[in-house]
Amino acid sequence: MNKKAMISFASSAFALMLLLTGPASAADLRIGLSGEVTSLDPHLLASQPNLTVARHVFESLTDVDPQTKLIPGLAESWRALDALTWEFKLRRGVKFHDGSEFTAEDAVFSIARPLSIKGSPGGFASSVRAVESATAVDRHTLRVRTKYPYGALPEELNSILIVSRKHAQNAGPEDFDSGRAMVGTGPYRFVRYQRGDRLELARHDNWWGKTPPWTRVTLRVIPADPSRTAALLSGELDVIEHVPSADLKNIIKNNKLRVSQNTSWRTILLHLDQYRAQPPGVRGPDGKPLADHPFRALRVRRAMSMAINRNAIAERVMEGLAVPAANIVSPDVFGHNTALKPLPYDPEGAKRLLEEAGYPKGFRITLVGPNNRYINDQQILQTVAQLLTRVGIQTRVEAMPMSAFLGRVRKEETAVSLLGWGSFAADLALRSLVATPNPEKGYGAWNWGRYANPKVDTLMEQALASVDRGKREALAREANTLAMQDLAFIPLHHQVVSWAMRADLAYAPRTDEFTFAHHFLPGVR
Amino acid sequence: MSAMIAAPSPLREASASFVRDRIALAAMVLLCLLLTAALGASLLSPQNPYDLAQLDILDARLAPGSASSAGGTYWLGSDGQGRDLLSAILYGLRISLGVGILSTLVALALGLAIGLASARAGGWIDALVMRVVDLQLSFPSILVALILLAVAGQGVDRIIVALIVVQWAYYARTVRGAALVELKREYVDAAVCAGYGEARILFRHVLPNVLPPLIVVATVQVAHAIALEATLSFLGLGLPITEPSLGLLIANGYTYLLAGQYWISMFPGLALLLTIVAINLVGDRLRDVLNPRLQ
Repeated sequence: MNKKAMISFASSAFALMLLLTGPASAADLRIGLSGEVTSLDPHLLASQPNLTVARHVFESLTDVDPQTKLIPGLAESWRALDALTWEFKLRRGVKFHDGSEFTAEDAVFSIARPLSIKGSPGGFASSVRAVESATAVDRHTLRVRTKYPYGALPEELNSILIVSRKHAQNAGPEDFDSGRAMVGTGPYRFVRYQRGDRLELARHDNWWGKTPPWTRVTLRVIPADPSRTAALLSGELDVIEHVPSADLKNIIKNNKLRVSQNTSWRTILLHLDQYRAQPPGVRGPDGKPLADHPFRALRVRRAMSMAINRNAIAERVMEGLAVPAANIVSPDVFGHNTALKPLPYDPEGAKRLLEEAGYPKGFRITLVGPNNRYINDQQILQTVAQLLTRVGIQTRVEAMPMSAFLGRVRKEETAVSLLGWGSFAADLALRSLVATPNPEKGYGAWNWGRYANPKVDTLMEQALASVDRGKREALAREANTLAMQDLAFIPLHHQVVSWAMRADLAYAPRTDEFTFAHHFLPGVR
Repeated sequence: MSAMIAAPSPLREASASFVRDRIALAAMVLLCLLLTAALGASLLSPQNPYDLAQLDILDARLAPGSASSAGGTYWLGSDGQGRDLLSAILYGLRISLGVGILSTLVALALGLAIGLASARAGGWIDALVMRVVDLQLSFPSILVALILLAVAGQGVDRIIVALIVVQWAYYARTVRGAALVELKREYVDAAVCAGYGEARILFRHVLPNVLPPLIVVATVQVAHAIALEATLSFLGLGLPITEPSLGLLIANGYTYLLAGQYWISMFPGLALLLTIVAINLVGDRLRDVLNPRLQ
């Protein structure tokens, strides 16, 4: 047997022992998370695993419901006073875990904090880039001035969690990991943190929201898929997120368990290098260099898109946990265009297009992507490689952990790369993934292929500048449609996320993939 | 008449004694079969599992005996990418045995030279070499291999180098011990008196006498090297994911174990197990045959 299996056997045996010695109290909830948590500091790194744990303790001014619709959070309401000024009315009577009152000063401090952390791997800069200044008008009114008209500010402020100014002033990430600065307004307060293993939380009884049913919550970090499933089956956990697709069928059949699932906001896509004459790893079938900029030809991008059998990936690789994609954002999300349909699988058509584009014998590429970030990412890479190879694009696969992969991307060593992106709105997604890269404006930070289309840029800018949501959505949809018809990148699918839990629990599946203990409901047999 | 008086050759005697043990004989036959299968993988396999154009995702995870969309049969089932497991196992065996044998041979040659030289030189050189060997042997081999691969990157060539690095010390230690005993024998003194050169004495006279224990160590080490290679592949440090060896096949199938799709892990695991058991049985018997004290 192998090591991993032995560990999972050992942990199942351990769970059995726990079960025999003393069952967990009915008001406890134990959740298995899939992603590595690198820090508890909510402003250090904008990664989903970190934010999942942080959002139990901290809240933001604007919140989103399970369908990613914007709803009030710590701010009860907001409006644009003019094109550059937003006013947020803050909720009254909100208490931090230490009993002190939440005021506009805490919000001002929290909005400024992400950019003040030295050596932060970041991810929050784009959320506060538009902010010129944030000021407290009175204890419960916050005014934010933007550098340019910016309609997406309420969405952006959802990413900024509000910390207590009293406790977080002069606090570094280590003070959050130790618990000293872990003082928020959220439904749970910090009890104990064991890095790489678990975070223990206790209910915040003075929370302004509806009192959650769980007095104690344990968030366990179990990235290994089979181990997470085993921990649920053995009763060591009550809930797991990201149910491994291979185990889904058996868990659905198991009448002691319940599964809740939904199309996530995350779109899985392939970026194609469009800026270098000779992208790395791209060669002719004989190993000689190709003509300049092979991926700039729309015919080549169309051929690659037509070579991909999205239904086969959804059914055979993802076990149904995928919706074939033709949009930059998934169906529930602001700016989605239902009229866009995925290019049908047509290997013969793809070969013809390649021939027309001047590659009758295809060419060679190296496909690079993560093996620990998205659902079945490593299998998707191999399947895409197999499908491309069938139409003559001989594909070599390199799969590696996300951190190593991002390092390769930053060094510009990849030409065809797999990425997953989730966003509240099509215009925000376009700004990161498709806009012509411009570091000063924060455009195209994740546009690895450096696709450039001035028409898309203009529409996206107009959308983001609109404080009228109806007008903004129409513009965002138009920009999305244009970019997708031009295959700025090759969309593969929208991920379907699933949670598995004890049969007496219920969870409203979230489009944004977040797992929140306080949203699980008990006693629903 | 004279043939009966003449002493039988040591090789013939050893092989006659070897086949007297039925289990060892069966293991030897199995090992030969596995070697043939590995060498003939490209002829025997219904599919080239490393050619992506021959795989069909629609055939993914079919049970053993299922018909393939191309008209064949997946006798041992198919993996998550629609790869025929029988073919993948044959190709994987080729990698496992190739890596195991090659790394063992190189490590053997290296350890032999270092061990002989160290025994002959004696003094502080001997002490230094043996301390290095001690140091090397005090680390678990998997740890050393993991560190080396983490620094040097992936690839089958690097795995071979890593396996050589973790193995040579065993041979150096074994050879040195045996050589120290042999160097005190009269025939060495005789050779010195006859005026033979240093190298000739070491390689023509001492070497043949230290070989038997080395052969035993080497056989066991091949099995060890194969297990280590499989472990490294299982951890994802081996070949590219599109060219899985046995360890990676097991790792890939591990995801589907709880879902009841046992064959993706089980058959490659069985192939690995049979190979290692066969080599170890042969090695054990060799030790008995070649060690006069045990006869």
